[in-house]
Amino acid sequence: MEASRDDFIIAIRSAFLKKGIQQRFSLIALICFSIAIIVLSNLNYTVIDNTRSSIKEIVYRVSFIASVPENYLKNSYKKIGNHFNYYEDYQDIQKILKKLKSEKISTYYIIAENKELKKIIDDYIINSEEIIAKVLLDKNSPYLKSIVLNKGSKDSVILGMAVLDQDYLVGKIIEVNYLTSRVLLLSDLNSKIPVVIQPENIQSILSGVGKVRGNIQYYKKTSDPQDSSFIYTSGSGGIFKSGIPVGSIEKNEENDEIKIRFFSDFSQLKFVRVVSFKKEEILLAEKKSKIKAEQAANIKAAQAAKIKAEKVAQIKAEKVAQIKAEKVAQIKAEEMIEENFKDENLFKEFSKKYTWKCKKTFFNKLHKVGTPEFKACIIKKGLQAKKKKKN
Amino acid sequence: MYKFSRNSTVGNFLGFAPTLILLISVLNEFDLNYINIKYFSFNFPYILIFYWTLKKNEGLGFGWVFISGIINDVILGMPLGISSLAYLLICGFARYLRNITLRSNLIKDWLFFSITILIVNSFIYLLLFLFFSLSLDYSYLLINLLFTILFYVLFASIFKFYLRNVMGNSDD
Repeated sequence: MEASRDDFIIAIRSAFLKKGIQQRFSLIALICFSIAIIVLSNLNYTVIDNTRSSIKEIVYRVSFIASVPENYLKNSYKKIGNHFNYYEDYQDIQKILKKLKSEKISTYYIIAENKELKKIIDDYIINSEEIIAKVLLDKNSPYLKSIVLNKGSKDSVILGMAVLDQDYLVGKIIEVNYLTSRVLLLSDLNSKIPVVIQPENIQSILSGVGKVRGNIQYYKKTSDPQDSSFIYTSGSGGIFKSGIPVGSIEKNEENDEIKIRFFSDFSQLKFVRVVSFKKEEILLAEKKSKIKAEQAANIKAAQAAKIKAEKVAQIKAEKVAQIKAEKVAQIKAEEMIEENFKDENLFKEFSKKYTWKCKKTFFNKLHKVGTPEFKACIIKKGLQAKKKKKN
Repeated sequence: MYKFSRNSTVGNFLGFAPTLILLISVLNEFDLNYINIKYFSFNFPYILIFYWTLKKNEGLGFGWVFISGIINDVILGMPLGISSLAYLLICGFARYLRNITLRSNLIKDWLFFSITILIVNSFIYLLLFLFFSLSLDYSYLLINLLFTILFYVLFASIFKFYLRNVMGNSDD
Protein backbone atom coordinates (compact mmCIF):
# COMPACT_ATOMS: atom_id res chain seq x y z
CA MET A 1 0.00 0.00 0.00
CA GLU A 2 2.79 2.32 1.10
CA ALA A 3 4.85 1.44 -1.97
CA SER A 4 1.99 2.08 -4.41
CA ARG A 5 1.38 5.52 -2.85
CA ASP A 6 5.07 6.30 -3.25
CA ASP A 7 4.94 5.20 -6.89
CA PHE A 8 1.95 7.45 -7.49
CA ILE A 9 3.72 10.44 -5.95
CA ILE A 10 6.91 9.75 -7.91
CA ALA A 11 4.94 9.45 -11.17
CA ILE A 12 3.01 12.66 -10.49
CA ARG A 13 6.19 14.51 -9.53
CA SER A 14 7.96 13.25 -12.61
CA ALA A 15 5.00 14.24 -14.83
CA PHE A 16 4.54 17.76 -13.54
CA LEU A 17 7.81 18.90 -12.01
CA LYS A 18 10.51 17.41 -14.23
CA LYS A 19 11.30 18.86 -17.60
CA GLY A 20 10.92 16.25 -20.31
CA ILE A 21 13.46 15.44 -23.00
CA GLN A 22 13.88 18.43 -25.35
CA GLN A 23 11.40 20.47 -23.28
CA ARG A 24 12.33 24.04 -22.35
CA PHE A 25 9.70 24.57 -19.69
CA SER A 26 8.43 22.39 -16.89
CA LEU A 27 4.70 21.72 -16.86
CA ILE A 28 4.11 23.12 -13.41
CA ALA A 29 5.76 26.44 -14.32
CA LEU A 30 3.51 26.82 -17.37
CA ILE A 31 0.42 25.82 -15.39
CA CYS A 32 1.26 28.49 -12.80
CA PHE A 33 1.82 30.97 -15.62
CA SER A 34 -1.60 30.11 -17.11
CA ILE A 35 -3.27 30.68 -13.75
CA ALA A 36 -1.44 34.01 -13.43
CA ILE A 37 -2.71 35.01 -16.88
CA ILE A 38 -6.30 34.05 -15.98
CA VAL A 39 -6.09 36.24 -12.87
CA LEU A 40 -4.27 39.12 -14.59
CA SER A 41 -6.57 39.20 -17.61
CA ASN A 42 -9.45 40.03 -15.30
CA LEU A 43 -7.77 43.08 -13.85
CA ASN A 44 -8.52 46.40 -15.48
CA TYR A 45 -5.14 48.06 -15.75
CA THR A 46 -4.15 50.01 -18.85
CA VAL A 47 -0.99 47.96 -19.42
CA ILE A 48 -2.89 44.67 -19.15
CA ASP A 49 -5.71 45.98 -21.36
CA ASN A 50 -3.26 47.11 -24.02
CA THR A 51 -1.35 43.82 -23.94
CA ARG A 52 -4.56 41.80 -24.11
CA SER A 53 -5.84 43.95 -26.95
CA SER A 54 -2.55 43.61 -28.89
CA ILE A 55 -2.55 39.80 -28.48
CA LYS A 56 -6.12 39.68 -29.75
CA GLU A 57 -5.36 41.91 -32.74
CA ILE A 58 -2.43 39.70 -33.78
CA VAL A 59 -4.30 36.42 -33.27
CA TYR A 60 -7.39 37.63 -35.18
CA ARG A 61 -5.30 38.64 -38.17
CA VAL A 62 -3.25 35.44 -38.17
CA SER A 63 -6.39 33.36 -37.77
CA PHE A 64 -8.05 35.19 -40.67
CA ILE A 65 -5.11 34.27 -42.90
CA ALA A 66 -4.99 30.69 -41.59
CA SER A 67 -8.74 30.32 -42.25
CA VAL A 68 -8.46 31.21 -45.95
CA PRO A 69 -8.20 27.58 -47.20
CA GLU A 70 -11.01 26.43 -44.89
CA ASN A 71 -13.21 29.34 -45.97
CA TYR A 72 -12.53 28.50 -49.60
CA LEU A 73 -13.66 24.92 -48.98
CA LYS A 74 -16.67 26.14 -47.05
CA ASN A 75 -17.72 28.50 -49.86
CA SER A 76 -17.23 25.84 -52.51
CA TYR A 77 -19.36 23.42 -50.50
CA LYS A 78 -22.11 26.06 -50.20
CA LYS A 79 -21.95 26.94 -53.89
CA ILE A 80 -22.32 23.32 -54.94
CA GLY A 81 -25.25 22.91 -52.56
CA ASN A 82 -26.92 26.06 -53.92
CA HIS A 83 -26.62 24.91 -57.53
CA PHE A 84 -28.82 21.92 -56.85
CA ASN A 85 -31.58 24.12 -55.41
CA TYR A 86 -31.57 26.94 -57.96
CA TYR A 87 -34.80 26.11 -59.75
CA GLU A 88 -36.89 25.55 -56.61
CA ASP A 89 -35.47 28.69 -55.03
CA TYR A 90 -36.32 30.69 -58.14
CA GLN A 91 -39.95 29.56 -58.04
CA ASP A 92 -40.25 30.48 -54.36
CA ILE A 93 -38.61 33.84 -54.87
CA GLN A 94 -41.01 34.73 -57.68
CA LYS A 95 -43.99 34.07 -55.44
CA ILE A 96 -42.52 36.09 -52.58
CA LEU A 97 -41.61 38.95 -54.89
CA LYS A 98 -45.17 39.29 -56.15
CA LYS A 99 -46.48 39.41 -52.62
CA LEU A 100 -43.85 41.91 -51.48
CA LYS A 101 -44.51 44.25 -54.38
CA SER A 102 -48.14 44.59 -53.43
CA GLU A 103 -47.27 45.09 -49.77
CA LYS A 104 -44.61 47.70 -50.47
CA ILE A 105 -47.09 50.27 -51.78
CA SER A 106 -49.13 50.34 -48.59
CA THR A 107 -46.00 50.19 -46.46
CA TYR A 108 -44.75 53.57 -47.77
CA TYR A 109 -47.82 55.31 -46.44
CA ILE A 110 -47.60 53.51 -43.07
CA ILE A 111 -43.92 54.41 -42.65
CA ALA A 112 -44.56 58.10 -43.27
CA GLU A 113 -47.51 58.12 -40.89
CA ASN A 114 -45.52 56.25 -38.25
CA LYS A 115 -42.67 58.75 -38.48
CA GLU A 116 -45.01 61.67 -37.91
CA LEU A 117 -46.68 60.01 -34.94
CA LYS A 118 -43.37 59.09 -33.34
CA LYS A 119 -42.16 62.64 -33.70
CA ILE A 120 -45.25 63.82 -31.85
CA ILE A 121 -44.58 61.49 -28.88
CA ASP A 122 -40.82 62.25 -28.96
CA ASP A 123 -39.81 58.70 -29.79
CA TYR A 124 -38.47 59.19 -33.27
CA ILE A 125 -35.06 57.58 -33.29
CA ILE A 126 -32.42 57.89 -35.94
CA ASN A 127 -29.51 55.60 -36.68
CA SER A 128 -26.12 57.12 -36.02
CA GLU A 129 -23.50 57.07 -38.74
CA GLU A 130 -23.31 53.41 -39.65
CA ILE A 131 -20.09 51.47 -39.96
CA ILE A 132 -19.83 48.69 -42.50
CA ALA A 133 -17.63 45.92 -41.13
CA LYS A 134 -16.32 42.68 -42.57
CA VAL A 135 -16.61 39.47 -40.57
CA LEU A 136 -13.08 38.26 -39.88
CA LEU A 137 -13.87 35.14 -37.89
CA ASP A 138 -17.10 33.25 -37.26
CA LYS A 139 -15.97 30.25 -35.29
CA ASN A 140 -18.75 28.11 -33.94
CA SER A 141 -17.49 27.65 -30.42
CA PRO A 142 -19.26 25.42 -27.90
CA TYR A 143 -18.73 28.18 -25.34
CA LEU A 144 -19.57 31.46 -27.04
CA LYS A 145 -21.55 32.26 -30.18
CA SER A 146 -19.72 35.28 -31.49
CA ILE A 147 -18.08 36.79 -34.55
CA VAL A 148 -15.05 39.03 -34.93
CA LEU A 149 -15.29 42.20 -37.07
CA ASN A 150 -12.50 44.11 -38.77
CA LYS A 151 -13.51 47.46 -37.27
CA GLY A 152 -12.52 48.67 -33.82
CA SER A 153 -12.16 51.78 -31.70
CA LYS A 154 -10.16 53.37 -34.53
CA ASP A 155 -13.38 53.43 -36.57
CA SER A 156 -15.47 54.72 -33.63
CA VAL A 157 -16.94 51.35 -32.70
CA ILE A 158 -18.05 51.39 -29.07
CA LEU A 159 -19.37 48.79 -26.64
CA GLY A 160 -23.08 48.03 -26.90
CA MET A 161 -23.55 49.12 -30.52
CA ALA A 162 -26.11 47.12 -32.48
CA VAL A 163 -24.98 44.87 -35.31
CA LEU A 164 -27.32 44.41 -38.25
CA ASP A 165 -27.32 42.09 -41.23
CA GLN A 166 -29.20 44.21 -43.79
CA ASP A 167 -32.05 45.39 -41.52
CA TYR A 168 -32.11 42.35 -39.25
CA LEU A 169 -30.59 42.40 -35.79
CA VAL A 170 -27.66 40.04 -35.36
CA GLY A 171 -26.18 40.95 -31.98
CA LYS A 172 -24.27 43.61 -30.13
CA ILE A 173 -20.65 44.62 -29.64
CA ILE A 174 -19.17 43.14 -26.44
CA GLU A 175 -15.44 43.67 -26.95
CA VAL A 176 -13.62 46.49 -28.71
CA ASN A 177 -9.96 46.43 -29.69
CA TYR A 178 -8.13 49.09 -31.71
CA LEU A 179 -8.69 47.45 -35.12
CA THR A 180 -11.15 44.65 -34.34
CA SER A 181 -14.24 44.01 -32.26
CA ARG A 182 -16.30 41.00 -31.11
CA VAL A 183 -20.05 40.65 -31.56
CA LEU A 184 -22.15 38.53 -29.21
CA LEU A 185 -24.73 36.87 -31.44
CA LEU A 186 -28.40 36.66 -30.48
CA SER A 187 -28.10 32.87 -30.45
CA ASP A 188 -25.61 32.89 -27.57
CA LEU A 189 -26.73 31.69 -24.15
CA ASN A 190 -25.64 34.95 -22.57
CA SER A 191 -27.67 37.13 -24.96
CA LYS A 192 -30.93 38.58 -23.59
CA ILE A 193 -32.86 41.21 -25.55
CA PRO A 194 -36.24 42.84 -24.87
CA VAL A 195 -38.59 42.14 -27.77
CA VAL A 196 -42.17 42.54 -28.78
CA ILE A 197 -44.20 39.90 -30.64
CA GLN A 198 -46.46 41.34 -33.32
CA PRO A 199 -49.36 41.46 -34.10
CA GLU A 200 -50.27 40.08 -30.63
CA ASN A 201 -48.23 42.91 -29.01
CA ILE A 202 -46.67 40.64 -26.37
CA GLN A 203 -43.64 41.99 -24.51
CA SER A 204 -40.98 39.38 -23.88
CA ILE A 205 -37.26 38.67 -23.58
CA LEU A 206 -35.48 36.93 -26.42
CA SER A 207 -32.78 34.61 -25.17
CA GLY A 208 -30.23 32.61 -27.11
CA VAL A 209 -29.86 28.93 -26.32
CA GLY A 210 -26.55 28.32 -28.03
CA LYS A 211 -28.29 26.81 -31.06
CA VAL A 212 -29.68 27.96 -34.39
CA ARG A 213 -33.08 28.80 -32.89
CA GLY A 214 -33.75 31.23 -30.03
CA ASN A 215 -36.19 31.22 -27.15
CA ILE A 216 -38.64 33.71 -25.62
CA GLN A 217 -38.94 34.13 -21.88
CA TYR A 218 -40.85 36.12 -19.28
CA TYR A 219 -44.06 36.73 -21.20
CA LYS A 220 -47.58 36.51 -19.88
CA LYS A 221 -48.55 32.88 -19.84
CA THR A 222 -52.13 33.86 -20.64
CA SER A 223 -51.01 35.37 -23.95
CA ASP A 224 -50.63 33.03 -26.85
CA PRO A 225 -48.05 33.87 -29.51
CA GLN A 226 -49.13 32.53 -32.86
CA ASP A 227 -47.06 30.64 -35.37
CA SER A 228 -45.20 32.92 -37.86
CA SER A 229 -45.74 36.04 -35.70
CA PHE A 230 -42.91 38.50 -36.10
CA ILE A 231 -40.49 39.53 -33.40
CA TYR A 232 -39.09 43.05 -33.20
CA THR A 233 -36.95 44.77 -30.62
CA SER A 234 -39.17 46.58 -28.12
CA GLY A 235 -36.72 49.40 -27.35
CA SER A 236 -37.00 48.81 -23.58
CA GLY A 237 -33.72 49.37 -21.82
CA GLY A 238 -32.70 51.94 -24.40
CA ILE A 239 -29.92 49.88 -26.01
CA PHE A 240 -31.70 49.27 -29.31
CA LYS A 241 -34.44 51.29 -30.93
CA SER A 242 -37.84 49.67 -31.18
CA GLY A 243 -38.93 47.88 -34.31
CA ILE A 244 -35.75 46.19 -35.53
CA PRO A 245 -36.82 42.88 -37.06
CA VAL A 246 -35.28 39.89 -35.29
CA GLY A 247 -37.12 36.73 -36.30
CA SER A 248 -40.39 34.89 -36.36
CA ILE A 249 -42.16 32.42 -34.09
CA GLU A 250 -41.97 28.75 -34.94
CA LYS A 251 -44.59 26.81 -33.02
CA ASN A 252 -44.48 23.07 -32.69
CA GLU A 253 -48.11 22.02 -33.11
CA GLU A 254 -47.62 18.76 -31.24
CA ASN A 255 -46.30 20.09 -27.93
CA ASP A 256 -46.90 23.86 -28.35
CA GLU A 257 -43.18 24.49 -27.89
CA ILE A 258 -42.18 27.95 -29.11
CA LYS A 259 -38.87 28.61 -30.85
CA ILE A 260 -37.58 31.68 -32.62
CA ARG A 261 -36.31 31.42 -36.17
CA PHE A 262 -33.88 34.30 -36.71
CA PHE A 263 -34.26 36.22 -39.96
CA SER A 264 -30.52 36.29 -40.42
CA ASP A 265 -28.41 33.17 -40.86
CA PHE A 266 -25.55 33.71 -38.40
CA SER A 267 -23.28 31.20 -40.10
CA GLN A 268 -23.48 33.14 -43.39
CA LEU A 269 -22.47 36.60 -42.24
CA LYS A 270 -19.94 38.31 -44.50
CA PHE A 271 -20.55 42.03 -44.01
CA VAL A 272 -22.55 43.64 -41.24
CA ARG A 273 -23.64 47.14 -40.27
CA VAL A 274 -22.66 48.48 -36.86
CA VAL A 275 -24.95 51.26 -35.62
CA SER A 276 -26.04 53.06 -32.51
CA PHE A 277 -29.41 54.73 -32.07
CA LYS A 278 -30.25 58.21 -30.89
CA LYS A 279 -33.35 60.32 -30.58
CA GLU A 280 -33.69 63.00 -33.25
CA GLU A 281 -33.66 65.81 -30.67
CA ILE A 282 -30.53 64.48 -29.03
CA LEU A 283 -28.96 64.22 -32.42
CA LEU A 284 -29.94 67.81 -33.23
CA ALA A 285 -28.67 68.99 -29.84
CA GLU A 286 -25.42 67.16 -30.50
CA LYS A 287 -25.14 68.78 -33.91
CA LYS A 288 -25.85 72.20 -32.39
CA SER A 289 -23.29 71.72 -29.66
CA LYS A 290 -20.83 70.54 -32.29
CA ILE A 291 -21.45 73.68 -34.37
CA LYS A 292 -21.16 75.81 -31.21
CA ALA A 293 -17.91 74.14 -30.30
CA GLU A 294 -16.64 74.73 -33.83
CA GLN A 295 -17.67 78.39 -33.66
CA ALA A 296 -16.00 78.82 -30.27
CA ALA A 297 -12.87 77.20 -31.67
CA ASN A 298 -12.99 79.57 -34.66
CA ILE A 299 -13.37 82.61 -32.39
CA LYS A 300 -10.51 81.40 -30.24
CA ALA A 301 -8.36 80.86 -33.30
CA ALA A 302 -9.22 84.36 -34.60
CA GLN A 303 -8.38 85.90 -31.22
CA ALA A 304 -5.13 84.01 -31.09
CA ALA A 305 -4.31 85.22 -34.62
CA LYS A 306 -5.15 88.81 -33.64
CA ILE A 307 -2.94 88.64 -30.55
CA LYS A 308 -0.17 87.18 -32.65
CA ALA A 309 -0.54 89.93 -35.27
CA GLU A 310 -0.49 92.58 -32.55
CA LYS A 311 2.65 91.09 -31.07
CA VAL A 312 4.30 90.99 -34.47
CA ALA A 313 3.34 94.65 -35.10
CA GLN A 314 4.66 95.61 -31.67
CA ILE A 315 7.93 93.83 -32.31
CA LYS A 316 8.17 95.55 -35.71
CA ALA A 317 7.47 98.98 -34.20
CA GLU A 318 10.06 98.34 -31.51
CA LYS A 319 12.59 97.36 -34.14
CA VAL A 320 11.82 100.47 -36.25
CA ALA A 321 12.12 102.66 -33.14
CA GLN A 322 15.38 100.99 -32.25
CA ILE A 323 16.74 101.52 -35.77
CA LYS A 324 15.61 105.15 -35.66
CA ALA A 325 17.20 105.71 -32.25
CA GLU A 326 20.39 104.11 -33.52
CA LYS A 327 20.38 106.41 -36.53
CA VAL A 328 19.74 109.53 -34.39
CA ALA A 329 22.49 108.47 -32.02
CA GLN A 330 24.79 107.96 -34.98
CA ILE A 331 23.93 111.41 -36.38
CA LYS A 332 24.44 112.95 -32.95
CA ALA A 333 27.73 111.20 -32.57
CA GLU A 334 28.78 112.44 -35.99
CA GLU A 335 27.66 115.97 -35.08
CA MET A 336 29.53 115.77 -31.83
CA ILE A 337 32.63 114.60 -33.63
CA GLU A 338 32.18 117.45 -36.06
CA GLU A 339 31.63 119.94 -33.23
CA ASN A 340 34.61 118.56 -31.39
CA PHE A 341 36.61 118.97 -34.53
CA LYS A 342 35.40 122.60 -34.83
CA ASP A 343 36.06 123.26 -31.13
CA GLU A 344 39.49 121.84 -31.50
CA ASN A 345 40.25 124.24 -34.38
CA LEU A 346 38.82 127.22 -32.49
CA PHE A 347 40.74 126.21 -29.37
CA LYS A 348 43.93 126.04 -31.37
CA GLU A 349 43.16 129.45 -32.89
CA PHE A 350 42.36 131.24 -29.60
CA SER A 351 44.50 129.38 -27.12
CA LYS A 352 47.59 131.54 -27.59
CA LYS A 353 45.67 134.81 -27.21
CA TYR A 354 43.29 133.99 -24.37
CA THR A 355 45.07 131.42 -22.24
CA TRP A 356 45.90 134.04 -19.66
CA LYS A 357 42.23 135.04 -19.41
CA CYS A 358 41.11 131.53 -18.46
CA LYS A 359 44.15 130.01 -16.76
CA LYS A 360 43.97 129.40 -13.03
CA THR A 361 46.62 131.30 -11.09
CA PHE A 362 47.33 132.09 -7.52
CA PHE A 363 45.26 135.29 -7.81
CA ASN A 364 42.13 134.03 -9.54
CA LYS A 365 39.83 131.07 -9.40
CA LEU A 366 39.64 130.23 -13.10
CA HIS A 367 40.14 126.85 -14.82
CA LYS A 368 42.95 124.35 -14.78
CA VAL A 369 44.82 123.98 -18.05
CA GLY A 370 43.64 120.99 -20.12
CA THR A 371 40.18 120.66 -18.57
CA PRO A 372 37.04 120.92 -20.77
CA GLU A 373 35.99 124.02 -18.82
CA PHE A 374 39.32 125.64 -19.70
CA LYS A 375 38.74 124.72 -23.38
CA ALA A 376 35.21 126.11 -23.32
CA CYS A 377 36.36 129.31 -21.64
CA ILE A 378 39.02 129.95 -24.32
CA ILE A 379 36.57 129.31 -27.18
CA LYS A 380 33.99 131.58 -25.50
CA LYS A 381 36.44 134.41 -25.06
CA GLY A 382 37.71 134.06 -28.61
CA LEU A 383 34.20 134.09 -30.09
CA GLN A 384 33.20 137.14 -27.96
CA ALA A 385 36.25 138.96 -29.23
CA LYS A 386 35.37 138.03 -32.82
CA LYS A 387 31.83 139.34 -32.33
CA LYS A 388 33.13 142.59 -30.92
CA LYS A 389 35.44 143.00 -33.86
CA LYS A 390 32.64 142.48 -36.30
CA ASN A 391 30.45 145.04 -34.56
CA MET B 1 8.59 2.94 -46.88
CA TYR B 2 11.34 5.53 -46.88
CA LYS B 3 12.22 6.84 -43.48
CA PHE B 4 13.69 10.32 -43.09
CA SER B 5 16.83 10.92 -41.07
CA ARG B 6 16.05 12.72 -37.80
CA ASN B 7 18.65 15.39 -38.44
CA SER B 8 17.64 16.24 -42.02
CA THR B 9 15.50 19.28 -42.86
CA VAL B 10 12.58 17.09 -43.89
CA GLY B 11 13.05 15.05 -40.72
CA ASN B 12 12.99 18.21 -38.61
CA PHE B 13 9.89 19.43 -40.40
CA LEU B 14 8.14 16.12 -39.86
CA GLY B 15 9.10 16.29 -36.19
CA PHE B 16 7.60 19.79 -35.97
CA ALA B 17 4.44 18.73 -37.84
CA PRO B 18 2.35 17.94 -34.71
CA THR B 19 3.04 21.43 -33.35
CA LEU B 20 2.16 22.95 -36.70
CA ILE B 21 -1.08 20.96 -36.91
CA LEU B 22 -1.93 22.01 -33.36
CA LEU B 23 -1.39 25.69 -34.16
CA ILE B 24 -3.40 25.47 -37.39
CA SER B 25 -6.19 23.61 -35.64
CA VAL B 26 -6.56 26.25 -32.93
CA LEU B 27 -6.28 29.10 -35.43
CA ASN B 28 -8.77 27.45 -37.76
CA GLU B 29 -11.05 25.69 -35.30
CA PHE B 30 -11.96 22.61 -37.31
CA ASP B 31 -15.56 23.21 -36.37
CA LEU B 32 -17.08 21.76 -39.55
CA ASN B 33 -20.19 23.83 -38.80
CA TYR B 34 -20.88 24.35 -42.49
CA ILE B 35 -21.74 20.67 -42.85
CA ASN B 36 -24.76 21.47 -40.68
CA ILE B 37 -24.73 18.18 -38.80
CA LYS B 38 -26.68 18.91 -35.68
CA TYR B 39 -24.52 18.91 -32.53
CA PHE B 40 -21.53 17.53 -34.35
CA SER B 41 -18.26 18.91 -33.02
CA PHE B 42 -15.14 17.53 -31.44
CA ASN B 43 -12.04 18.88 -29.79
CA PHE B 44 -9.13 17.95 -32.03
CA PRO B 45 -6.40 19.70 -29.96
CA TYR B 46 -7.24 17.50 -26.94
CA ILE B 47 -6.63 14.34 -28.97
CA LEU B 48 -3.43 15.64 -30.54
CA ILE B 49 -1.94 16.94 -27.29
CA PHE B 50 -2.77 13.79 -25.33
CA TYR B 51 -1.48 11.40 -27.98
CA TRP B 52 1.80 13.18 -28.69
CA THR B 53 2.60 13.81 -25.03
CA LEU B 54 1.94 10.16 -24.36
CA LYS B 55 3.77 8.65 -27.30
CA LYS B 56 6.42 11.16 -28.32
CA ASN B 57 6.78 13.77 -25.65
CA GLU B 58 9.70 15.56 -27.34
CA GLY B 59 7.59 16.07 -30.50
CA LEU B 60 5.32 18.65 -28.89
CA GLY B 61 6.85 21.47 -26.82
CA PHE B 62 4.91 22.56 -23.75
CA GLY B 63 5.63 26.17 -24.68
CA TRP B 64 3.81 25.67 -27.98
CA VAL B 65 0.95 23.94 -26.17
CA PHE B 66 0.67 26.96 -23.90
CA ILE B 67 0.70 29.41 -26.85
CA SER B 68 -1.90 27.41 -28.76
CA GLY B 69 -4.11 27.56 -25.66
CA ILE B 70 -3.85 31.34 -25.60
CA ILE B 71 -4.68 31.49 -29.32
CA ASN B 72 -7.69 29.23 -28.76
CA ASP B 73 -8.97 31.51 -25.99
CA VAL B 74 -8.66 34.59 -28.17
CA ILE B 75 -10.43 32.95 -31.11
CA LEU B 76 -13.28 31.57 -29.02
CA GLY B 77 -13.60 34.72 -26.89
CA MET B 78 -12.94 32.93 -23.62
CA PRO B 79 -10.99 34.37 -20.68
CA LEU B 80 -7.26 34.26 -21.52
CA GLY B 81 -5.38 31.31 -20.04
CA ILE B 82 -8.31 28.89 -19.68
CA SER B 83 -7.50 26.69 -22.68
CA SER B 84 -3.77 26.82 -21.88
CA LEU B 85 -4.54 25.46 -18.44
CA ALA B 86 -6.74 22.72 -19.91
CA TYR B 87 -4.12 21.71 -22.49
CA LEU B 88 -1.30 21.68 -19.95
CA LEU B 89 -3.34 19.60 -17.53
CA ILE B 90 -3.96 17.10 -20.33
CA CYS B 91 -0.19 17.05 -20.93
CA GLY B 92 0.31 16.33 -17.22
CA PHE B 93 -2.16 13.47 -17.22
CA ALA B 94 -0.61 12.01 -20.37
CA ARG B 95 2.87 12.21 -18.88
CA TYR B 96 1.62 10.52 -15.73
CA LEU B 97 0.19 7.70 -17.81
CA ARG B 98 3.48 7.43 -19.68
CA ASN B 99 5.37 7.15 -16.37
CA ILE B 100 3.19 4.38 -14.98
CA THR B 101 2.86 2.33 -18.17
CA LEU B 102 5.29 -0.33 -19.24
CA ARG B 103 3.41 -1.80 -22.19
CA SER B 104 1.04 0.60 -23.90
CA ASN B 105 -2.37 -0.50 -25.04
CA LEU B 106 -4.84 1.51 -27.16
CA ILE B 107 -7.86 0.58 -25.03
CA LYS B 108 -6.10 1.59 -21.81
CA ASP B 109 -4.94 4.84 -23.37
CA TRP B 110 -8.43 5.49 -24.65
CA LEU B 111 -9.99 4.91 -21.24
CA PHE B 112 -7.44 7.13 -19.57
CA PHE B 113 -8.00 9.81 -22.22
CA SER B 114 -11.75 9.70 -21.54
CA ILE B 115 -11.21 10.12 -17.81
CA THR B 116 -8.65 12.85 -18.39
CA ILE B 117 -10.84 15.04 -20.58
CA LEU B 118 -13.85 14.49 -18.33
CA ILE B 119 -11.84 15.70 -15.31
CA VAL B 120 -10.13 18.57 -17.13
CA ASN B 121 -13.31 19.79 -18.80
CA SER B 122 -15.29 19.58 -15.56
CA PHE B 123 -12.61 21.67 -13.90
CA ILE B 124 -12.64 24.21 -16.75
CA TYR B 125 -16.46 24.44 -16.82
CA LEU B 126 -16.42 24.92 -13.07
CA LEU B 127 -13.91 27.75 -13.45
CA LEU B 128 -15.95 29.37 -16.22
CA PHE B 129 -19.18 29.06 -14.28
CA LEU B 130 -17.92 30.11 -10.84
CA PHE B 131 -15.42 32.82 -11.68
CA PHE B 132 -16.61 34.14 -15.03
CA SER B 133 -20.38 33.56 -14.70
CA LEU B 134 -20.57 32.21 -18.25
CA SER B 135 -23.72 30.32 -19.14
CA LEU B 136 -22.84 27.12 -20.95
CA ASP B 137 -24.86 24.71 -23.00
CA TYR B 138 -23.98 21.51 -21.17
CA SER B 139 -25.68 19.16 -23.61
CA TYR B 140 -23.64 20.63 -26.45
CA LEU B 141 -20.44 20.37 -24.44
CA LEU B 142 -21.21 16.78 -23.46
CA ILE B 143 -21.79 15.81 -27.08
CA ASN B 144 -18.55 17.56 -27.97
CA LEU B 145 -16.76 15.47 -25.32
CA LEU B 146 -18.41 12.30 -26.54
CA PHE B 147 -17.31 12.87 -30.13
CA THR B 148 -13.82 13.76 -28.91
CA ILE B 149 -13.62 10.46 -27.04
CA LEU B 150 -14.94 8.54 -30.05
CA PHE B 151 -12.59 10.19 -32.48
CA TYR B 152 -9.56 9.44 -30.30
CA VAL B 153 -9.29 5.90 -31.69
CA LEU B 154 -9.38 7.12 -35.29
CA PHE B 155 -6.80 9.85 -34.79
CA ALA B 156 -4.61 7.62 -32.59
CA SER B 157 -4.42 5.15 -35.49
CA ILE B 158 -3.52 7.93 -37.94
CA PHE B 159 -0.85 9.29 -35.61
CA LYS B 160 0.52 5.81 -35.00
CA PHE B 161 0.81 5.26 -38.71
CA TYR B 162 2.58 8.61 -39.05
CA LEU B 163 4.99 7.81 -36.20
CA ARG B 164 5.85 4.36 -37.52
CA ASN B 165 5.91 4.86 -41.25
CA VAL B 166 6.92 8.48 -41.71
CA MET B 167 9.03 9.28 -38.70
CA GLY B 168 10.36 5.75 -38.32
CA ASN B 169 9.54 5.24 -34.66
CA SER B 170 9.72 1.59 -33.76
CA ASP B 171 9.46 1.90 -29.99
CA ASP B 172 5.73 2.59 -30.04
